[in-house]
Amino acid sequence: MITLTIDGKKIQIEEGTNVLEAALRNGIDIPHLCYHSDLSVSGGCRLCQVEVEGYDQPVTSCGMACAEGLVIQTQSERLTAIRRNLIDIFLADHPLDCVTCDKAGSCLLQKYAYEYGVKETSYIPIYSKTLYQDDNPFFIRDHQYCILCGRCVRVCDEIVGVHAIDFANRGFESHIATPYDGPMIDSSCVFCGNCVEVCPTAALLPVSRLKRGREWDLERVDSICGYCGVGCKIEYAVKDNEIIYAQASVQESVNGSFLCTKGRYGWDFAVNPERLTQPMVRRDLAYSLGISTENWRLPKVSPLDIDKPDVDDYFIPVDWETAYEIVSSKLVDIVKESGPDAIVGLASARCTNEENYLFQKLMRAVIGTNNVDHCARL
Amino acid sequence: MSREKLDQMADRERERQEKFDRRVFCCISTACLSAGAGRTMQALKDGLEASQSGDKVEVVQTGCMGLCSRGPLVRVRENTGEETYYADVTTELAEELIAKYVPLSEPKAGDEALAPEIIETRSRLEAARRKRTLKKHILSQNLPFFTKQVKVVLRDVGYVDPEKLEDYLAHGGYQALYKAITEMTPEEVCDEMSRSGLRGRGGAGFPTGTKWTFVRKAESDIKYVVVNGDEGDPGAYMDRTMMEDNPHQVLEGMMIAAYAVGAYHGFFYIRGEYPIAIDRIRRAIRAARRAGILGDSILGSDFNFNADVRIGAGAFVCGEETALIHSIEGKRGMPRMRPPYPATSGLWGKPTVINNVETMASVPAILLNGADWYAKIGTDQSKGTKVFALAGQLTNTGLIEVPMGISLREIVYEMGDNVPGDAEFKAAQTGGPSGGCIPMSHVDTPVDYERLKELGSIMGSGGLVIIDSTTSMPQFARFFMDFCVDESCGKCVPCRVGTVQIRALLDKLLEGRGQVGDLERLEEVCEIVKSTSLCGLGQSAPNPVLSTLQFFREEYEILLPS
Amino acid sequence: MAKKQSSNGKGQSKAPHPSGDERYKVIDRTMKRFKYEKDALLEVLHATQETFGFLSDDLLIYISNHLQVPLSQVYGVATFYHLFTFEPLGKHNCIICTGTACHVKGSASIAEAISQKFNVPIGKTTEDGLLSLTTARCLGSCGLAPVTVLDGEVHGKATDESTIERVERVLANEVKV
Repeated sequence: MITLTIDGKKIQIEEGTNVLEAALRNGIDIPHLCYHSDLSVSGGCRLCQVEVEGYDQPVTSCGMACAEGLVIQTQSERLTAIRRNLIDIFLADHPLDCVTCDKAGSCLLQKYAYEYGVKETSYIPIYSKTLYQDDNPFFIRDHQYCILCGRCVRVCDEIVGVHAIDFANRGFESHIATPYDGPMIDSSCVFCGNCVEVCPTAALLPVSRLKRGREWDLERVDSICGYCGVGCKIEYAVKDNEIIYAQASVQESVNGSFLCTKGRYGWDFAVNPERLTQPMVRRDLAYSLGISTENWRLPKVSPLDIDKPDVDDYFIPVDWETAYEIVSSKLVDIVKESGPDAIVGLASARCTNEENYLFQKLMRAVIGTNNVDHCARL
Repeated sequence: MSREKLDQMADRERERQEKFDRRVFCCISTACLSAGAGRTMQALKDGLEASQSGDKVEVVQTGCMGLCSRGPLVRVRENTGEETYYADVTTELAEELIAKYVPLSEPKAGDEALAPEIIETRSRLEAARRKRTLKKHILSQNLPFFTKQVKVVLRDVGYVDPEKLEDYLAHGGYQALYKAITEMTPEEVCDEMSRSGLRGRGGAGFPTGTKWTFVRKAESDIKYVVVNGDEGDPGAYMDRTMMEDNPHQVLEGMMIAAYAVGAYHGFFYIRGEYPIAIDRIRRAIRAARRAGILGDSILGSDFNFNADVRIGAGAFVCGEETALIHSIEGKRGMPRMRPPYPATSGLWGKPTVINNVETMASVPAILLNGADWYAKIGTDQSKGTKVFALAGQLTNTGLIEVPMGISLREIVYEMGDNVPGDAEFKAAQTGGPSGGCIPMSHVDTPVDYERLKELGSIMGSGGLVIIDSTTSMPQFARFFMDFCVDESCGKCVPCRVGTVQIRALLDKLLEGRGQVGDLERLEEVCEIVKSTSLCGLGQSAPNPVLSTLQFFREEYEILLPS
Repeated sequence: MAKKQSSNGKGQSKAPHPSGDERYKVIDRTMKRFKYEKDALLEVLHATQETFGFLSDDLLIYISNHLQVPLSQVYGVATFYHLFTFEPLGKHNCIICTGTACHVKGSASIAEAISQKFNVPIGKTTEDGLLSLTTARCLGSCGLAPVTVLDGEVHGKATDESTIERVERVLANEVKV
C-alpha cells in the first residue's frame, strides 16, 4: 500500500494504481473523458491534468502511477484555465445541440462544459465528421458527436475481445470505423452494446431511447437481469412504466460495468402483454378442485391448431398459495402412488443459478428423484 | 570471424586500392542521381572500359560529397592523396574526364575484335582529349563550404563504396566495435559516451550516455536497440545520406549501443520513402552477417547480436519514439504518454534504446578517438559536430557537418555563399515543422541546442532551410501548419483540433478577412496547443507560427485592417 | 487456372489463392518469413502494396484472416499510413515533392500547373487511368529543389514548363502505342 495526498486528503492505495483512479475511488472527481476504470489508459483527452508538488508543469493524472508521498492538487487556477481551454477546443468539433440531444443530462462533455462554465466555443466551429449510421436495430452511430476518446474501441478489444471497430485514417480525418465504414451487421460486432455504455457523448445511442425522453425524464430502476442465470446487475431506465433502455449498474456486481447483448437489448419480454405474471390453473382442473364453478371441458381442437389461442380461454388465474397447494398435493399423490421416480423436474436457464440449485435440491432431497434437467440454453 | 580475418580482409582491400594510379569517385546519392549522376556513372564506366586501362584507374560509386546543388559531383583521388573535385559533371564531361585521367591503352593482343560501340567510345575519348571545358568545373577545396566543415560522422561518406563491406573495413570499419567488446566493459562504453557529451541528434538532445545507462541498468532478460531512421522533417536528409552512403557505420554504432546496454536484437526503422537507404542497410546487414560481424559470437567474443529492418509507411509522427514502437509492433503509429519511457518499457514492453541515425553514426568515431577528443569539439553544453542539410534559397546547398556553436552567419554567408540574385537573406528555418525561424537580427547566434531553444526554435534533426526576402512568413507558417494538420495522429484533442484551428486563423488572415485581435488569438491558441498536447509533435507544432509571430510580426500586422 | 500444388510434405500445404492470382504468393512468403506474427502487419501491407499497387478489400480480408488480426485493425493501420493507397494508381505517376526546400522554391506552382494542364486533381488519377498526380513530403533531394519524380525518374531544379514537357512526352508515347 502507498500513501499519497490528494487535495489535502490522505489516501491509501495499492501500488500500480494511477493517480486518477486513486482520486475517483476516494470520491474526488477529476474531469476525464477518455479514461475508464476498466480500460487501458489512453491520455488523449488531456482533461485530467493535475498539479503535482515538485513538478513545474501539470501532469496527466491517468498516466501517472501513485507513488509514496505524492502531493496532488486537482483544482487550481491554472488547471481550471487548461480544462476550460480543452473543453473549448472539444466544442469546436462537437455541435452544441444540447437542447435537442437525447444524451443531454448524461453527456460527460456537457457536464464538464457546465462545470467549467464554457457556454459556447470561442473557435470557428469546423466539424470533421458528419457520418450518421443507423444500420442495425440496436444502436445508432452519430459521428458528429464523437470526440474520439477511443473508449468504444478499447472496450470492444479489451473487454469484449471482438475488435469490430478501430480508429481509421488519422489526424482531423480520423474517426471510429468498421472496415470500410461498412454496416455494423457486416462486421464482427456481437451487438453487446458495451461501446454504447462507455460512450461519453451522443455518438453512440441505443435506438430504443431515441426521442423517448432525456435523463431527467427517466426513472432508474436497479434490477437483476432476468435473461439468464448469471445474475448480472442491471439498471433499467424507465419512463411511464416502460423500459426505455438498459445499462450495467455501476455498483459492485458480478458483471462489473458491462452487459451482454441479451441483457442489454433482450428485455422486451418484460413488458410483453402475453407475459405470465401470476399462476394459472387449467379450467377443468379448477372445476374439479372447486375453484371454479364452470364445468369446462378441453375442446377437441388442440390449442396448437388454433391460430392465436388465448390463454384465458383455457386457464384461470389463481393466487400463489392456491397454486402451491395444488402442486404440492399432486406431487405427494404421485409419489405415494407411483414412487418418486415417476416425477421429472425441468428447470429453466432463465432462473438464477441459486434458483436452479434450490430446484435440484427440492427434487433430490424432498421428492427423492434424480430426474432433474435443465434447458441449458437460451 | 576473428580479428585476424577482419584485418586480412581490410588489408587485402587496401592493397587492391593502392594498386591503382588514381581512383575516380562518382556520387550516386539521391540528390546527384536526380541531377543525372546515373548517366554520369555509366559514362565513366563505359569510358574506362573502352580505354582498356581498368588496371590503372578505378571508378567507384560513393555517397554524398556535400555540395548537392552542383551535382553530379565527381572526385579524382591520386595515389599520392591529392584530390580534385568536379561539379556539374554531365556525360560529355565524364568522357573528357576519362580522357584526361585514363590512358588509352592499346587493345591487348588477341583481343583485336573490339565491339563497335567500344571503338566508337574510343574515338570519342580521343576527341575529348582536346577539349578544355573540364577546368571550368573544378571545385576549389578552399571554398568555405569545405574548409569550415569538421567531419566526424561524414568522415568516410563520399569515399567508401556503400555496398562494399571490405571498403568500410579498409577505412577502419568495425575497429571501434572490436575495441568495445574486447577492451571495454558495457559500463565503460556508457561512461565514455557520457564523457563525450554526445546528445541525441534526433532533435531533443537527450544525453546519449545517460540514456544508455538507464537501459543498461534496467533489469530484463530481453532488451532492444532501435535506430530511428524515420527522418520526416521536410528539408532534412542527413539520416538518409548516412544510411545510403555508409550503412555499416550506422550498423557499427548500433552494435556498440547493443553491447553497452546488453541487447541481443535491434531494429532499423527506416522511412518508406527511402528505398535506397532500406536497400543499403539490408545489404549491410547481410554482408555483416556473412562476415561473422553480426550474429552469434561476434568477432570471437561471447557477444551475440542480430538486426532487422522495419519500414515506415508515411507517417511523420512515427519519428516520435513511442509512436515508432507502436509502428514496429505493426500498429497505428500513435504516441502514448511517457513515462514509462522506452528505456524502461519500450518495444514489446522491454527496455529499449532508441537513437537517431546520426547519433549512432557518431558512436564509432567517439570510441576510437576517445571521449576527450570529441568533447573538445563544440560548445560547453553541445559537444561535437552536427550534420545539417542546407537547403532553400542559397547559392550553395547540400550536406554539411559543422562543429556545434558555429554561427549562422558563417553557415549562410560563407558556406552557403549568400542568397543568389538580388534577394536578401531573411531567415533560417531549423527543426522543420517542429522548429522556428531565426531572423537576420540573430544571425550571429551560435548554433547549439540551448541557443536555438531560446530563440523559440529547436536543433531538430538538422534541416536548415534558408528563406530570402521574397518569401512571406505568414505563408511559410501556413505551409508548416498544413504539414502538422496532415501529420497529426489524431489521438489528443489539442493537436487534432487545435492545429486545424491555427490553420483556419492563418487562412482568415491570408484571405484578407483578418480582424483586430486575431494575432493575439493566434498566439493564445498556439500556446494552448503547445502546453496541452500529448506528444512532441503537438507540443512543437505551433513553433513555426510562434517564432514568425515573434520575429516577423509586421508581416502579420499588415494583414489586419488598418 | 492454377493447378493444385503438390504438398510440401509438412501436411499443411498452402493451396494457391482461389483466384489463381500468383501474386498472393508474395503475401504468403512475407507472412511466412515473419512466422505469421501479428506484429508483421505493417511489413505484410508493404509487400502487398508493392506487389498489387494498392490495397483492395479482398487483400485486407486475406491478410486479416491469415495473420489473425481483426479486419477493423488491419483497416485502421492501413488508413493511418499515407504510403498505402486504396485505388490503383495511373499507368504513369507524377510525384511533386512538397518538402520545405521545394516549397520555398515553388513546388506548389508545379503541382497546380500539372493539375490544370492535364485535368487531374492532386492526389488523383485521370479518368483514362493514364496519369496520377501525387505529392510527397520531402524526397530528400533538397539541394536540387524543386524536385519531381516521373515514373521513378527523379528530376531536380524542375519548373512548371519542364515538368509539363516531361509529362507530355510520356503521354505522347502512350497515344502512339
